Amino acid sequence: MNPVRPILPFYFGSPDKRLFGCFHQPPPGRKRKCAVLICQPVGHEYINSHRALRQLAARLADVGFPVLRFDYYGCGDSSGDAEEGRIPQWLEDVSAAISEIRQRTGLAQLCLVGLRLGGALSTLAGVQCGDVESMVLWDPVVNGKSYFENLLFLQKEMLRFRPRPKGDRKSRGHIDVLGFPVSHFLYNELAKINLLSIAEKPAKNVLLIQSNQAAGDDSLKNHLGRTEARLEYQRLDAPEIWLPTTDGSLLVPGQVLQSVVSWACGAHP
Amino acid sequence: MKNVLMQKTPVKEEAVLFGEKKSLAGIVTYPPGVIDRWLRPTVILLNPGIVHRVGPGRIYVKIARALAAIGYVVLRFDFSGIGDSAVRYDNLRFEKSAVSETQAAMEFMKATRGSECFVLLGGCSGAQISFDTACCDPRTIGAILINYPVIEDEDDSADADLKHRRAAHYYWNFALFNRKSWGKLFSGRANYRQLMGALKAEARRRFAPPKKAPREAAPFQANLQRLAERDVRLTFLCSQGDPLLDELREAGGNDFRRLCALGTITLDIIPRSDHTFSSLDDHDRLLDVILKRIKAMTPAGNVSLNKPQIIPGAEDRSAVGF
Repeated sequence: MNPVRPILPFYFGSPDKRLFGCFHQPPPGRKRKCAVLICQPVGHEYINSHRALRQLAARLADVGFPVLRFDYYGCGDSSGDAEEGRIPQWLEDVSAAISEIRQRTGLAQLCLVGLRLGGALSTLAGVQCGDVESMVLWDPVVNGKSYFENLLFLQKEMLRFRPRPKGDRKSRGHIDVLGFPVSHFLYNELAKINLLSIAEKPAKNVLLIQSNQAAGDDSLKNHLGRTEARLEYQRLDAPEIWLPTTDGSLLVPGQVLQSVVSWACGAHP
Repeated sequence: MKNVLMQKTPVKEEAVLFGEKKSLAGIVTYPPGVIDRWLRPTVILLNPGIVHRVGPGRIYVKIARALAAIGYVVLRFDFSGIGDSAVRYDNLRFEKSAVSETQAAMEFMKATRGSECFVLLGGCSGAQISFDTACCDPRTIGAILINYPVIEDEDDSADADLKHRRAAHYYWNFALFNRKSWGKLFSGRANYRQLMGALKAEARRRFAPPKKAPREAAPFQANLQRLAERDVRLTFLCSQGDPLLDELREAGGNDFRRLCALGTITLDIIPRSDHTFSSLDDHDRLLDVILKRIKAMTPAGNVSLNKPQIIPGAEDRSAVGF
C-alpha cells in the first residue's frame, strides 16, 4: 500500500496580499540540499495544469526535494481578484515565495520550475535575484505578445461552441479570455515580455523542455546557450497539458515529469 | 442585483486539512466580523468534475467570497485524488467516497466552527454528490445543483439516442448559426452520419409520443419526493446552452414539474451560458442566482437553525484568518 504523505497548505506573504502555498515535505532522512519552487501558469492554463504540477511536486518530494507550489496574487486560492493580476506583482510574488521556501527549509540552494507564463516569470525573477542555482523551463512563454494573441485565438475558437456573451467587458477595463479577465495593464505588461532580450543567465543550470507540439523555433535555446548558464535542452513528444481538452480531462505527461525529476536529481545529487 | 465581489468586502480565508488521515485539503472562507452561525447554514462547495476546488474560471473562489461577504461560512475542498487531496487506496467507488468525504467535511465544520446545518453546492459531478449527500444526510437543508447530470453516460454503448440528442443540441444551438459549419456541410467535410442521426433523434423528440423515461428517472423522482418531504430546498441551476437541461426535465417528469410549481424545487436557467460557465458574464449571472437562492434557503431573522452551544475552541478558531 502506498503511504499517504499529506501536503501542508498554508498562506504566506504580506497581510494585505496573502498568497496560497502548498508545501511538500520530503520523506524523513532523504532531504537534499536544494529546495524547489514551482511557478505555475495563469488563467485557464493554471487550472488545466494544476494536476500535473501537483504530481510533479509529489515526485520531486519523493526523491528528497522540499517543494513549494504557490498561487500568484489574484490567482487560484491566493487573495485578490483576477482583474488585479499584473506582471510586476507576480514577480514580487515569486520573490516572496523564494523567501518563504528558503526560510521554511533553511536551504539557500534553489531550483525554480516554471511552466508557460510561470517559466517566463521564473526567468525574469532568476535574472533579477541572480542567485538561483538551477531552473527548469517547461514550454515557457517566450514572447508575451504572441502568447496573448494565442489566448485571443483560443477565446475565438471557444465562442464557436457556445453562445456569445452579451456584456461589454472592454468598457470595464478588461477583456474576457476563457473566463479570466485580462486588463489592459496586464496586456501592456505581457507585450513587453521577451525572453530573447534577457542579457544575464537566469540560473547557473538550466533545463529547457519544449513539447513537440508547442515548440516554435530554437530561438530561446540558442539565446540561453549564449548566456553563461549551463544549458540542457530536451524536446519531448508530450501533450500541451495547459490547453482545454474536449472531454474536460486534465493531462499528466509522465515523460516530462520524469525528465524534470531526473535532471533535478542530477543537478543536485 | 450587483455582484457582491465588486464591493470588495474583506473576507478571511484559511487553509485546512481534515478527514480521518488529515488528507483532504480545503479553504474555509469567513465573513468579516462576527459570525452569526446560528442563523445561517454553512455552505460546502464540491469539486466540479476533476477540476480542483478553485473551479473553472476560478468561479468557486468568487462564489465563496461573495457568500462570505454576506455572512456565510464557506468550505471548498478537494475530494481525494483531486487537487491537493491525497489519493485513497481503499478501492471505494467515487460515488461512495465522495459522499463520505462530504460528510467528513460537515463533521469537521461542526467540530471546529460549530456548524450544524449545511447547504451543498456543486457543478456537474459535484451536483450529483450534493444530491446524493442530501438524500442520506439530514444535516443538509438545501442544495444548489449546477448542471446536474441526471443521466449516467459512462457506458459508451448505453444510449445512442442520448448521443444523437446531444449532437442535435449542438447543431441547433451553435452550428446552425456558424458560417464555418455551413462551409463544412457544403464542402463534404461534415459528419453526415451523425447529422442524420441527430436530425432523426430531434424529430422523434419533438413529434413522436414520449417513450419510456430513462432508467435513472424512477430513483431520481423518488429521491426528489423524499427530499421534498424533508423540506430540503433544491435549486437546479442549468446553463441554457447545455444539453443536460433537457435530460433533467425528461428524467424529472411530472413530479419535477409539480415540485417546481409548489416552490419546493426551483429551476433557474442561466441564459447564454455553457456547461462550465466559461465567460465572465456567465460568472456574474451565476453568482447573482446563487446568492439569491442561498439567501432564500436561510430562514429569516430570528429563526435559529442551530441550537446555540459552545464548541470548545470554535470561537477562537473562527476568528483566525489565514
